[in-house]
Amino acid sequence: MHIPDGFLSPQTYLPAWGLAGVAWAWAGRGLARRLDETLVPRLAMLTALAYALGLVMLPLPGGTSGHALGVAVLALIFGVRLAFLAYSGVLLLQALLFGAGGITALGVNALALGLVGALVAVAVRRLFAVAGDTVAVALAAFISLQVSALLVALLLGIQPTIARREDGTPLFFPLGPEITVPAVLLPHLLIGIGEAALTVFVWRHARRKGWVSA
Amino acid sequence: MNRAQSWLLLYLLTVVGITFVHQAGWLAAGLGLALLAAGPARWRLLTRAVLALLLFNVSVSLAYALVAWWQARPVADVLLLMNLRVLLLVFLGFWLVDRIKLLEALAGWPLLAMIATLAIGQVAVYRRLLDDFRLAFRSRNPVSPTPVDLLRHAGAQGGALLDKSLHSADQVAQAMRSRGAFDA
Repeated sequence: MHIPDGFLSPQTYLPAWGLAGVAWAWAGRGLARRLDETLVPRLAMLTALAYALGLVMLPLPGGTSGHALGVAVLALIFGVRLAFLAYSGVLLLQALLFGAGGITALGVNALALGLVGALVAVAVRRLFAVAGDTVAVALAAFISLQVSALLVALLLGIQPTIARREDGTPLFFPLGPEITVPAVLLPHLLIGIGEAALTVFVWRHARRKGWVSA
Repeated sequence: MNRAQSWLLLYLLTVVGITFVHQAGWLAAGLGLALLAAGPARWRLLTRAVLALLLFNVSVSLAYALVAWWQARPVADVLLLMNLRVLLLVFLGFWLVDRIKLLEALAGWPLLAMIATLAIGQVAVYRRLLDDFRLAFRSRNPVSPTPVDLLRHAGAQGGALLDKSLHSADQVAQAMRSRGAFDA
């Protein structure tokens, strides 16, 4: 559901880049020590999966696309910091190689999908841990996708308000939140079910392999 | 700073600059200039750029045209400005990737370069494996498979994909280890 280049005003994407820079520094601190020949192949595998998922997309009139993310599975297996960094790499590759997303929108996309998505996934799994592993993981994936989708829809929806000519003509993305929120959220309710199923599938695979503890 | 990084920096400054331009004429001139400068690759890159944004921008443009018509607001100026800007930005992105080696440009950020290297390798593994599975599945099903067959196949393929991908990434990681990539 990443936002393409050219839809966000500098008032939005420049502060987002600044914030993302701070977040990347936080996420990358001490990471080199954690990465070894055991962790790296798993990370590479699931990062590539997230990359592949992001390319099977359905354009939405709300200014973004509908697709599964794979952020939740990255976060649940590797933690928020590594998931955020890995997904930022995915967004960069998708933007440069396929024109999906974009460089100006990278900060916003990384924060909304990579960081918030990962944080929500980990928090929801902890919150619903008592409901059993499968339910908690499925809910974590589903809810993290919806929160990211809502954030993206709101950020797009505020563009006509914060970047317009004196006569009110929008300079960037032209549709308001009354359109973006339902247009982005409704398809993601369905996509979220697929994301939840996929996350549970990969999570179980990871558990069978002993990558994560029960 | 190597050549690829210089191009990356120039590209970043240009895309930021473009988002401060709000006249369709200037954006069209910028696109014309970029097309001229891109040399023989220009039409291939332009086609790729148009295809990449076509579905996206058509859906947004139609939605806005409908809303603007309903509210009796101007349509053409807004859509021209938005679509020209998006096309120029996407074209520049493709042109950059066509001109430079991405991994060379990321050389200043070892962690990002490592993740990108591994991810690009994995993407190639996925693509190859998916093709193999698709062809094998097709050759075993002279008649159209049922939804149950498809689901069973997808499950088997998913598991194999993860295992194969992990094996491949493991080999890359071992190669990186032997070259000191994980030495502190």
